[in-house]
Amino acid sequence: MADHDLELKRVTKRFGSFVAVRDLSLAVEHGQFVCLLGPSGCGKTTTLRVIAGLEDADEGEVWISGVRMNDVPPWKRDIAMMFQDFALFPHMTVRKQVGFGLEMLGRPKEEIRRRVGETLATFEISPLAERKPDTLSGGQKQRVALARALITQPRILLLDEPIGSLDFSLREAVMLELKDVQRRLGVTFIWVTHDQNEALALGDRVVVMNHARIEQVGTPEAIFERPLTRFVASFIQGNNVFEGVVESVEGDCVRIRTPVGSFAVPPRDGGPPPPGANVSFSVRAALLTERPGPEQANRLPATCHAVEYLGSIRRYDLRLEDRRSIKYEQFGAQAARIREGEVVTLGWQVEDGILHAPPEGAG
Amino acid sequence: MNPRKRSLVSHVLALPSALWMLGALVIPTLFIVWVSFWTTRTFSLESPLGLLNYTKFFNRPTYVKLLADTVQQSLLLMAITVVLGYAIAYFVVMKVRQPALQLGLFLALVIPFWTSVLIRTIAWIPFLGVTGVINQALLFLRVVDEPVSVFLYSRTGITLAQVSFYTLLATGPVVYTLRNIPPSLPEAARSLKATPLRVFWRITVPLTLPGILIGQILVFLNVMADFATASAIGGNKHAFLGNIVILLYDSGQLPFASVIAVLLMLCMLGGVAALLKVVDIRRLGVP
Repeated sequence: MADHDLELKRVTKRFGSFVAVRDLSLAVEHGQFVCLLGPSGCGKTTTLRVIAGLEDADEGEVWISGVRMNDVPPWKRDIAMMFQDFALFPHMTVRKQVGFGLEMLGRPKEEIRRRVGETLATFEISPLAERKPDTLSGGQKQRVALARALITQPRILLLDEPIGSLDFSLREAVMLELKDVQRRLGVTFIWVTHDQNEALALGDRVVVMNHARIEQVGTPEAIFERPLTRFVASFIQGNNVFEGVVESVEGDCVRIRTPVGSFAVPPRDGGPPPPGANVSFSVRAALLTERPGPEQANRLPATCHAVEYLGSIRRYDLRLEDRRSIKYEQFGAQAARIREGEVVTLGWQVEDGILHAPPEGAG
Repeated sequence: MNPRKRSLVSHVLALPSALWMLGALVIPTLFIVWVSFWTTRTFSLESPLGLLNYTKFFNRPTYVKLLADTVQQSLLLMAITVVLGYAIAYFVVMKVRQPALQLGLFLALVIPFWTSVLIRTIAWIPFLGVTGVINQALLFLRVVDEPVSVFLYSRTGITLAQVSFYTLLATGPVVYTLRNIPPSLPEAARSLKATPLRVFWRITVPLTLPGILIGQILVFLNVMADFATASAIGGNKHAFLGNIVILLYDSGQLPFASVIAVLLMLCMLGGVAALLKVVDIRRLGVP
């Protein structure tokens, strides 16, 4: 347990009758980059605030570095936090701002002066030292906020949508920079975002949340390729989700009847669902083909509705018999294979289908 | 519309209020200054000008002491209302979480001010007298054995009443500036190892300084100009400069009344200038 920088044990947080976080458990090892990903209102920010001590957990426990933190106030926790609006103090110069944490820790003046100088140099903001926040650009504010948070050398840095308020053109560069800082300093990062690209690009581990619960915890690859629940499959772009009823179970294959046909899907770890159960499964848009051969046992007809060219990929929006949409992706470098209005037969291999776990509480 | 044209339009739009200010404020004030230099005792436009009235004022220790008393009373009220006003504002904005209760408390503060200052002043008399509410309460609680007369017709009574009138002036602007502080700022300070007390002194107070200052200017000006409280609650025993202006005006000594009015205005100007040195109020509302 001492290996864990952070451990949440069955944490629940309510605001009146609204449950913001429900029975959430999570363990984070030292130096990990963890992304909490989910739509707005899913409880990811509340989880972060409970870790910081800005909110008290109604039930459950928060452990940091092997010590129970439930009754420890935020200023005594070995964490720092970066806010979406950066929360820079408008009345302090950058130098004062960055030194604030050390000053609060009661460090000697000489040490504060030296370490602030070093930190300003590290984050390349020395020329801004005497400026006030309202004269800084978004990118500069972000650096100041990061320098201010990291100068006390916290064990865990909590980041609440830290690049959400930056211009789109800046984001990628800042993302890589933050990842680099995290690797270099070995600080544990808990990064809250609603942007799956951020989460998948940065996280060692991604925690997908919805409706106050964790839906799936895993590597970006696992989240991307093997969505555990219907929510994860539909939240992460590029999945086609089907709903249906289990018709039969034959060995390594579950046959599911949907409104647009009957398809074979491999069972989940932990055994196949019983015949008659309502289930959902997904298949990645990139794993479809419009020229199914003998390998692609699952097939269905579709009409091409629109083609989006996104540079690295070309995405087709097709319509099924019941007017629902299905996506199909191919590499952008290849010539377009389907024209708008064309009717094709899409197919995929049985093992590319991912059967989802039933929603929690429905079982 | 080019900037020059727009500025012309804005000047035209400002003209009516400028004319009003000129006629109702600037000219009468200049008139008072002029009258203060008259050397005749009574109203006469042909009066020769001189410093006679000013030398008379500063040669009489009674008047100089009155001036000192008035300034002292203002400083005392500022000291009390800055603490009380801030505490009330902080409680209403930061501690009361339900918006309905917040509004209710704020109304409870404001509603007494819908009545005239005269009524509010007179309303204090039944509280302060020898058989008044305060004395009865003290007797009931056995703090005193017999009624005390320190409240009515005393400086203490005047101060009590003035605190009740002017605390709201110190509260309002602080409420406004407190509301403008994004919640993430104190939270960020807490996550940077600041204890609640340090968050208060290092983050909250500096960011509400413009509000404190505006409130203090209002209190200062109002106490300096207050004559009604002193005459109603102080009886004939206590007076501030404002009371003397009335007294001299009633007895027809216009030039000398003007001298005191001018000195009062100079004190106010000096006080406001000194307070504005502390903070640039143009930054109000920009946390």
